[in-house]
Amino acid sequence: MAKNEEIVSIQGVHKDYPLDKVVVKALQGVDLIVRQGDFLSIVGPSGSGKTTLLNLIGCVDVATSGTVLIDGHDTKTLNDRQLTDLRLNTLGFIFQSFNLVPVLSVFQNVEFPLLLQRRFTQAERAKRVDGLLAKVGLDKHSKHRPSELSGGQRQRVAIARALVSRPKIVLADEPTANLDSVTGETIIDLMKHMNKVEKTTFIFSTHDAKVMGHANSVVRLADGRIDGRKTKAGKHG
Amino acid sequence: MSWVLLLLQTSLRNVLSSFLNVVIGLILLVGTAVFVVGGSLVDSMDKAMSRSIIGSIAGHAQVYQASSKDSPSLFEGWQIPDLDPMPDFSKVKGPLMAHPNVAAVVPEGINTAIVVYGNTIDQVLEKLRKACSPGTRQPQERVASLKSHVRQMVSVIQSDMAKLDKVAAKGAVDPGSYADLRRASSPAFWDGFEADPFSHLEFLENKIAYLVPDSDQIFLSYVGTDLDAFSQSFDRMQVVDGQAVPKGQRGMLLSKYVYEDQFKLKAARRLDLLYEGLTTKGKTLAKDPVLQDLVKQNKLQTREIVLQLDPLSTKKAVAILQGTLSSKETDVAKLLSLFFDTDDSNLVARHKVFYDQLAPLLELYRVKPGDFLTIKAYTKSGFVSAVNVKVYGTFQFKGLEKSSVAGAVSLMDLFTFRDLYGYVTPEKVAETKALQRAAGAKFVSRDDAEAALFGGSSSVQETSQKTIDASTLLSGGKLQRADLVSRVYSREEMEKGVALGAAIVLKDPSKLEATMKDLQDICDREKLGLKVIDWQKAAGNLGQFVFVAKGILYFATFIIFVVALVIINNAVVMATLQRVREIGTLRAIGARRLFVLAMVLTETIVLGLVFGTGGAFLGSAFTLWLGSAGIPAGNDWMYFFFSGPRLFPALSAGSLMGAYLVVFLVTCASALYPALMASRVAPVRAMASED
Repeated sequence: MAKNEEIVSIQGVHKDYPLDKVVVKALQGVDLIVRQGDFLSIVGPSGSGKTTLLNLIGCVDVATSGTVLIDGHDTKTLNDRQLTDLRLNTLGFIFQSFNLVPVLSVFQNVEFPLLLQRRFTQAERAKRVDGLLAKVGLDKHSKHRPSELSGGQRQRVAIARALVSRPKIVLADEPTANLDSVTGETIIDLMKHMNKVEKTTFIFSTHDAKVMGHANSVVRLADGRIDGRKTKAGKHG
Repeated sequence: MSWVLLLLQTSLRNVLSSFLNVVIGLILLVGTAVFVVGGSLVDSMDKAMSRSIIGSIAGHAQVYQASSKDSPSLFEGWQIPDLDPMPDFSKVKGPLMAHPNVAAVVPEGINTAIVVYGNTIDQVLEKLRKACSPGTRQPQERVASLKSHVRQMVSVIQSDMAKLDKVAAKGAVDPGSYADLRRASSPAFWDGFEADPFSHLEFLENKIAYLVPDSDQIFLSYVGTDLDAFSQSFDRMQVVDGQAVPKGQRGMLLSKYVYEDQFKLKAARRLDLLYEGLTTKGKTLAKDPVLQDLVKQNKLQTREIVLQLDPLSTKKAVAILQGTLSSKETDVAKLLSLFFDTDDSNLVARHKVFYDQLAPLLELYRVKPGDFLTIKAYTKSGFVSAVNVKVYGTFQFKGLEKSSVAGAVSLMDLFTFRDLYGYVTPEKVAETKALQRAAGAKFVSRDDAEAALFGGSSSVQETSQKTIDASTLLSGGKLQRADLVSRVYSREEMEKGVALGAAIVLKDPSKLEATMKDLQDICDREKLGLKVIDWQKAAGNLGQFVFVAKGILYFATFIIFVVALVIINNAVVMATLQRVREIGTLRAIGARRLFVLAMVLTETIVLGLVFGTGGAFLGSAFTLWLGSAGIPAGNDWMYFFFSGPRLFPALSAGSLMGAYLVVFLVTCASALYPALMASRVAPVRAMASED
């Protein structure tokens, strides 16, 4: 078990992808600690390994070597079902393309993780979903379908969905890439607000300088290695 | 439960989410509709045909001797099955009737026979012979009328021969025939008729009659049965012409269909078929080649009518035809040909004129109720047996009047049947004994035959030899025949004898299977040596028709659904590939593989059930419409399968349930592979960019 504050602990992680006869080394010996309540941005040019790192933290992929501890669980030792449960209960995802289920309403999309958890009554689910939709400013759109919403609104639905199960970590892969700058700014503000209010750890990748400015900790990746880490407190990792 | 609801909700919303789904749905819709309509049709036809078979001859079940080479096949026409006889029907009836669900056990046996007729001139000559004979002499006017009828016939034959001579090859017509015809048409021949009628008649019978090639033989299928029990047990049977055979007496009822088809004047029968085609079957002469052919035959084959008309009737017929056709033609054959040249506009009127005015001049039927028929049939042992039987009338099965299948068999009393089939009847035993006595024959057993013939005294002794007086036997024979016609047999006499099989009529037909099992147990326990089969098997190949129809339907549905299965499988695979990111997202946010598998399966099944329900509604609506409008029986066979002129299909619950089951299975089978494929989509696929 990691220290109380260390929600993500990555030690000497390598990730290789076979591509035809070549092996692409996406990550080459990455070490990273993320603490509870961090608002951390992973930055770097395209192909630097940002998404790969997020995938490993998000338990949607496993490392070729090295250790990835998420909330104290070594992901290498978990089977598919355990990884799925870890994602369901500990992690929340915000995708670059929002990834909402098109045939479900806003309410149903947000409710979906709670239904998978099978822990809550209908009333409890409704209370939690309505509360979150109010926080992201979509309480009047709960019956709408994703196709009836703007890009910003869709991403807010995705944020609500990511937070509804009260995960310890929310991962966001380029959350503003498909949004205009003003909407992107609003989304980051919302994430930051949630980080403060809900104490949820946010890890997001971006190559937008404005967006990374909001992070209290920025990890820079280059060629699959950590090129440096800056925190608002001035510490270097 | 909520996630199950979510699955259903997601699936329902996905139903119309893509064009592919609509295509899949339409295939399922059509397949289901075909299954519902086809299944209901086959079920309705099954019920209708069972009514036809059970209600005509078969009863609900049949029993027959288990040792028989064949099994009963009641509707096979001339293929008479080889059945061993039940030696004593009364011993079979009792135990079977003891079952509480058996209403009647009716003895039955099917056989075929030939009824041979002389030609038209033979029949008139026979009348003339009777009119001149001492015992049956008729007034001079009647004799004169018959003579002039024969003279007219000779003249018709003469003119036919002249025509034939012009077109046939030399030597095709025997020159002696011309001389005979010249003699038969000469005034001298007829002047001498009164002086020696019988030698004149003999000349006409031997030298002239054979020149008319319209002698005929009719093939007759009949059921030998206890006529009284038969009419009580098969309540669809109704007497149409004449009367029922008096209780316990010998006699025959001809099938009305056979009577109309075989015994009626051919031109009149064809006119009936034309009239029926136009008025009840909605056909037209302008379009229907079968009807056109009937008109052609009627135009060409007027000879049967011409020969029937004596000079007086000919005059009347000419007048009627001239009036109807507004013609000045005097040749009756030409007038008849013009009269029968019918079309859609005049057929109904001509039909009326024929029956109102011409038919009274003609003998429409060769046999009338009350006449005797000489029936020849092959006995079981292979020799030909002939019996004279009185025709009391005609009968039909209600609702199956136009069916050639149900109408194929006539009904005959059990005793005549046994005679024709070569079984020993009480009369035959008595007749054999009388002959034995008359001939002084004594019984020698097979073992002692050699000793009796060649053993004993070395010298051959002449034994007394009685002479059989042929005249006594003949007159005795006549008396016996008269006795047979009027003799009333008791039920015991009727039942205590051989039968080929028996029809079993049940009180509650829904218990057929259980009752058959009980009856077979009774037969085995009582050592009756009988086998019990149901109506469907007893009907032979005809009974298998529904199986064939069901087979075709299921095969067609199978093909539709196999095609559907392949298309759906491909479509769902494609749909899954299009949804990889969506499925990856669900996996990323915590959906297990099983959830994804259930989701794809549920979606496809819901799609199937939604469109299947649409198809079921469509099929049901169409079936209900058919049920109210009815499907017309296109021909005589369909008449039997439909148990009447129209089939009114009823919606069958079995078809509806079957359709749903098939849709369910097909969608499950077709979605299984794509569902497994979807469940293997890695969550990392959620991270893929949109393009």
